[in-house]
Amino acid sequence: MARAAISRAPVSRAVVRAPRDTAHEGFLTHRRGLWWKVALALSLVVSAAYALIDQSPRPNGGTALGYGLGTLGALLILWLSLLGLRKRIITRGAYSLKAWTSAHVWLGLSLIVVGTLHSGFQFGWNVHTLAWGLMMIVILTGLYGIIVYARLPEQLSANRQEVTQPQMLEAIRALDAHLDNAAQPLGPDDAALVRLSLEKTDIGGSLRQRLGGSYARDGNARALAAVRGEVERQRLAGKPDQRLAQILFLLERKEAALAQARRHIGLKSRLEIWLYIHVPATFALLAALAAHITSVFLYW
Amino acid sequence: MSFIVRQIAKRADGGDIIRTRTLVGTAISVGRGTDCDVQLADLGVMLRHLRLTRLASGRVAVEATGGVPVEIAGNFVQSADLDPASSPTIDLASHRLTLGLGEAPGSVTVTAERVIPASDAADPAAETGIFSLRGTMLGKRSLAWLLVVLVLVGGLLLPWWLAGSRAPPPAMVAAAARGDGTAAPAAPIPAGFAADEVWTSGPLSSAHAGLAHDCGACHQKAFVSVRDAACTACHTPAATPDHAAPARMTRGRVTPVGLVADLHRRVDLPEGRCASCHKEHEGPRGALMVAASFCTDCHAGLAGRLRDTALANVPGWEGHPQFRPTIVTAPSLTTPRFTRVSLADRPREASGLVYPHDLHLSATNAVANMAQKQRLPVSGGALGCGYCHTPDSDGVRFQPIEMEKNCGACHDLAFARDGGVTRTLPHGQPAQVAGIVRDFYLSQALSPRAGVERIAFERRQPGQFAAAQTAALRLTGPGEARARADAAIAAIFAPGGVCADCHGVVDTGAANAATRFTIAPVRLADHYLPKGAFPHKRHLIFDKATGDAACTACHTGVRASKVSADVLLPAIATCRQCHGEPDSRTRVAAECSTCHGYHGAGDHGGDAVVAPARLAQGHRLPAAGAPRNKRAGDA
Repeated sequence: MARAAISRAPVSRAVVRAPRDTAHEGFLTHRRGLWWKVALALSLVVSAAYALIDQSPRPNGGTALGYGLGTLGALLILWLSLLGLRKRIITRGAYSLKAWTSAHVWLGLSLIVVGTLHSGFQFGWNVHTLAWGLMMIVILTGLYGIIVYARLPEQLSANRQEVTQPQMLEAIRALDAHLDNAAQPLGPDDAALVRLSLEKTDIGGSLRQRLGGSYARDGNARALAAVRGEVERQRLAGKPDQRLAQILFLLERKEAALAQARRHIGLKSRLEIWLYIHVPATFALLAALAAHITSVFLYW
Repeated sequence: MSFIVRQIAKRADGGDIIRTRTLVGTAISVGRGTDCDVQLADLGVMLRHLRLTRLASGRVAVEATGGVPVEIAGNFVQSADLDPASSPTIDLASHRLTLGLGEAPGSVTVTAERVIPASDAADPAAETGIFSLRGTMLGKRSLAWLLVVLVLVGGLLLPWWLAGSRAPPPAMVAAAARGDGTAAPAAPIPAGFAADEVWTSGPLSSAHAGLAHDCGACHQKAFVSVRDAACTACHTPAATPDHAAPARMTRGRVTPVGLVADLHRRVDLPEGRCASCHKEHEGPRGALMVAASFCTDCHAGLAGRLRDTALANVPGWEGHPQFRPTIVTAPSLTTPRFTRVSLADRPREASGLVYPHDLHLSATNAVANMAQKQRLPVSGGALGCGYCHTPDSDGVRFQPIEMEKNCGACHDLAFARDGGVTRTLPHGQPAQVAGIVRDFYLSQALSPRAGVERIAFERRQPGQFAAAQTAALRLTGPGEARARADAAIAAIFAPGGVCADCHGVVDTGAANAATRFTIAPVRLADHYLPKGAFPHKRHLIFDKATGDAACTACHTGVRASKVSADVLLPAIATCRQCHGEPDSRTRVAAECSTCHGYHGAGDHGGDAVVAPARLAQGHRLPAAGAPRNKRAGDA
């Protein structure tokens, strides 16, 4: 009996579920995936209605189902766009921001089905397709946002290596000061190269550089290439100028510091860029929706 | 003679540190190099940038020694003479030198100061600028405003302001009025663009393509659905008559109930508008693309609502009732009776004509032999279907059967040779026939002419033909002529005579031979299914059979039919071999409109109670007042 009791004890302990730590549950799987289930069910119901209900003469926004889907889609869009207001008020529980965000994401994705079936796959150069196109831009940028939010923070923290943003800038500034000092004895040509690094280095650069990560035309890269070439030449000719070799060392260290900062910037840009499209496109969508609905009844 | 050099450096808290040195001599050097009298830690400055020399006149000579000019009073110069009393300034890279007179006589002060700060200011704003996209991209708020304004102006306000006239183009209405009322022909989309086109929900039908830039032609009032008046401006009611009497249509229509119908009533979308069926902006076939369900909405249960209708309910293609061809049940030249009888009820037609299809379509009998000898079109040795049934110009139906054209080649009515002329009896006029025969015999009795011979219709025995004829025309006088003529007339009309081959002949027994015989009237139906259209030309191949085989593939009983009473139409099951419901994947879709029209009495009577007179509209009756002597076969 005693052995049985002993052997049963760990089993019963294993069965008892530890209280869920909701604070560490992501918004995608909030409440065990309630909202993706709701969104999937909505998409399936809507698709089944589209397939089964006879829409004569052909499916579009003007049939009874079309009006129904349009109303549903418009209400969804209005509610989804309210996240911008809602996120500024953080609460807990059923109506927590996390619950709201979870619903926003999943219902937003189901809008692809609702909105497209509302169109009956009729597209053209008009305000109606404009509204659909803007809706798709908003949804797809949002989808991109979810993907980068899920994947990039890990890379971001791996790249930072416990260094803060101000520290990254500080390191570059310190190297600049060293470069400035070390360049003082140099002749005008070499000094000009150092000035290239000091004055023509744009840490962040343009949007394209931030997203593409190509900084080859940047001041420091050009100065580094020129100085490295010069030092190589001197080394082949005999004894290199120690002062220039010191400059080369500093430029290389600055390039490494820049590379880390720029990887950080690149990742952060990708984390941010979608919102720069998602949010304005949402407002454009609301305007296009107003034009779409008004024009339909204007020219009935 | 001395230079007093004052070098100013900025402290972190913003204050200045001034270092003053006195250099005795007439000249000092300025540059980045450590050997210079005034050393400027500025990479833009040359190692030995310039030399200042005190002149005897008290002025200071400036000479750029590094090969790079200096900026004095806005000018880049290699050398200059300056008066220190006027506090001149010399700019080189980020630094500025200001000259002045020193307190000691003959001394000159040189103040060196960095005027362009080094860009190492560590402020938080710079950090945000570098690590966030805020400075790189147009802000979210500004972009949102920009897009909202663009969309609202381009998508709503501009089209509203620039919308054109709210009426159909007068030229189009005039063209429709000039024409037959079927509206202007399909026009290609004219060049141009109207601002309100951005509201289009799809391309217009090809017939309305010319209106692509005239939204107001149909959308005449904002927030009011398109009304029939917009359509009837071009499509006059005369050209597109009602499907049935409006009152009957109202009774026949299902009163829509439910949420959608209620909404339609509330938002002023009345039932029965042109646009209720004709949906525009659905692509090139749009306006004519009427779903079959629009027809079955009413016709599925019409008999229940319109009690006196003669139409059977049609729930759909698979539930379509059996064909009820309009057959002749009482032939008459003037008042024939047509009756619709279902093919399921084995209809028997009474056309009045004797015509066995089997005899005429045999490949082995005398008909086939004669057809070949006469070089008539034969198919497989037999007379072809197309010899009698000639397609009309549309290829939909057939030209009427005419005795002379379709029968006369074999059934010829020649009765005598008069010199080189063949005398022929007129078809369809029995009284004339009797008169002509009488006149022939009388003229031979009174004034016999050589070379005149009678052609008998009776079967002749070989070898005795010429002798018999010559003897027959030797007449003794008018009395015999009269008797011979009456005998000939009786032979022509008698059973076995030429008329009775095809016609029923009534012998009234009257003494006068001219009125003794009457021909039973013949009336051939020329359109068995006048409420539908079957384009024969599209069905020339059936199940790989072509030519006559294709005809008899559907009209199956033809080769075996012995009497003209047989109604040789295929039943609807034959159609269903190839045609299926509109959503059929395996068979050709049969919409209502595949066979039926809607507007106009011609293609679809529409009215439920079909009056005989109305039914006859589809048939070619002689016009009132026209001569009644038309041949029966021409009906």
